[in-house]
Amino acid sequence: MTTNIPIKSDPNTDIACRTPDMEERSLLRKVIDRIADRCRSRSLFILHYCTGCGAIELPPVITSRFDSERLGIQPMVTPRQADILLITGYLSVKTLKRVILTYEQMSAPKYVIGMGSCTINGGMYWHSYATIKRLQEYMPVDMYIAGCMPRPEAIQQGFLQLIDNIDKGQAIAWQDYYYQYDKYLGNQQALFGPDWHTPTDVIAEARHYELFSENTIGEHTALLAKFASKYVTLQCEELVK
Amino acid sequence: MRPENYQPVEHPASHEYELYFGPNHPGIEGNYALKVRLTGDEIVGIKADGGYLHRGFEKIMEDRLWIQNVALVPRICVPDPPPMEETYARAVEMIGGLEVPERAQWIRAMILEMSRICGHLFIVGGTAATIGQYSNMFWGITDRDYLLDLFEALTGARIYHMFITPGGVRRDIPDGFLDKLSHILDYLEARLPEYDDLFFNNPVFHKRAEGIGVITQEQALAWGVTGPNLRACGLALDVRRDDPYLIYDQLAFDIPTETSGDVLARTMVRRSELIESIKILRQIVQRLPQIKGPIRCDLPNPLAWNLPEGDAYARTEAQKGELAFYAVSTGGSKPWRVHVRGPSSMHAVQVLEKLCLGGRIEDIALIMFSLDACPPEVDR
Ligand code: SF4
Repeated sequence: MTTNIPIKSDPNTDIACRTPDMEERSLLRKVIDRIADRCRSRSLFILHYCTGCGAIELPPVITSRFDSERLGIQPMVTPRQADILLITGYLSVKTLKRVILTYEQMSAPKYVIGMGSCTINGGMYWHSYATIKRLQEYMPVDMYIAGCMPRPEAIQQGFLQLIDNIDKGQAIAWQDYYYQYDKYLGNQQALFGPDWHTPTDVIAEARHYELFSENTIGEHTALLAKFASKYVTLQCEELVK
Repeated sequence: MRPENYQPVEHPASHEYELYFGPNHPGIEGNYALKVRLTGDEIVGIKADGGYLHRGFEKIMEDRLWIQNVALVPRICVPDPPPMEETYARAVEMIGGLEVPERAQWIRAMILEMSRICGHLFIVGGTAATIGQYSNMFWGITDRDYLLDLFEALTGARIYHMFITPGGVRRDIPDGFLDKLSHILDYLEARLPEYDDLFFNNPVFHKRAEGIGVITQEQALAWGVTGPNLRACGLALDVRRDDPYLIYDQLAFDIPTETSGDVLARTMVRRSELIESIKILRQIVQRLPQIKGPIRCDLPNPLAWNLPEGDAYARTEAQKGELAFYAVSTGGSKPWRVHVRGPSSMHAVQVLEKLCLGGRIEDIALIMFSLDACPPEVDR
């Protein structure tokens, strides 16, 4: 994960932004974070969204044979209450739009697991016109599980690793989405066209979480504002008529 | 919502509302969506919205060697991959004029039937889960795993085996495999009464499923319904019997049918097919040791393998219905065109839309699972 040094204060809001540097936190903050991480790692909900063929190995993982519930992992139907977004394989461009919408709806901290070689480099469908090849260009990924398709044991090993990472406070890829929103948005726009926008206001969220950095906004987010204002003007014109 | 993006839309006053059912919804099978128009909980309009799993299979296949496509085809239908491999292999054999050794044909039939049991256990469990009977889903998935272990012993993989190649199968069966298989068959048969008590004879399920999603015989034929869904309307049509492939003409089995054509009938047909598949597998376990010979015919170097010019249409009774591959060769090392006729593209689009219309919202999931549609194969 690449993290940039965030700017100290944001001229638009005048709120001093938190530095994410682990060492600069106060002792109380460190203790609270430690407790919170430990609790988070013990109760995780996977979003029930099966995007590719890897989804067929999930029922064995969550039911009696491999039983991921003993690790504290269960499926959850709504994105707002889910912690893990499990991308179970290839993503067609149409699905990717929904996945990004879903990802932005999930509340932080959120973790993304890319399952299967299709999420890593395109896998079987490396020259398909309909699928995306590298998931991490569009959203930050905490962990990949390699294999085509990964066995249930591999998936559980991945879960255990994720639990460990959360416990140690290392599963912080989600912060990258706020730090580098401009980069991710640029990749999304390259795929969906320049007027791509989602309902979630990621920039305001970045400010709210105090994760605003100089790379959060840039030329691509400017495009967002441009097209947004186009919609607004259109609306005004309609009103005038 | 960004405030500047918000555009209020004025609608005339109406009792109807639109609901997006899926793709991220537990009541939908796989990554698939339906746009439903409702008044209250009654469905007045429904439109299937597929394409979430489109990978462009038929185009990708034109880009790869005949032998490379063996690894690609099972991925068309995730819950039931072996029929895909088998049908593709058979189409290639028809074009290339390859003779499959008898032993390989028996092994292929064994794999197809094992896969049918897997698929039926999976989908019956899924149907139960849509009406809240989750124990059945847990049982079905766990029992299916015993068969997946056998697949692993045989082929090295749980789901995608890539075991059936043009000309035969990749390996012979390992020692003691048939004993293990007949042991599992005994186990499954002993489990069936428990499934009956829990699900198939459950009055809650009967009340819920009777008269829901009825297909008449004429409708079934007009809409292109195949497989267990067609047999649930009382038509005993089965490719294994009508157009025998492999060694199915040497096996004794019944074609179970029901008459009412509703969700209950479709589930009951699957239950009877489980029994029939167990019967077929028992015969194979008995006969296979006597059949000696090679498991694969001689192939030229597969990386420089040019099939003669021609085309072939091969069809199979897959777990979900009639599956067919149409392959055209222009004499090159790659297919010129491969077309897949999957059963689910009819079941999940036109049939599902028509059956849901006029029904109630809570039945959509039940009807979809009872039709056993497989979204990856719809979108391809
Ligand atoms: S990695 Fe393999 S199993 Fe997973 S989605 Fe891709 S092709 Fe399917």
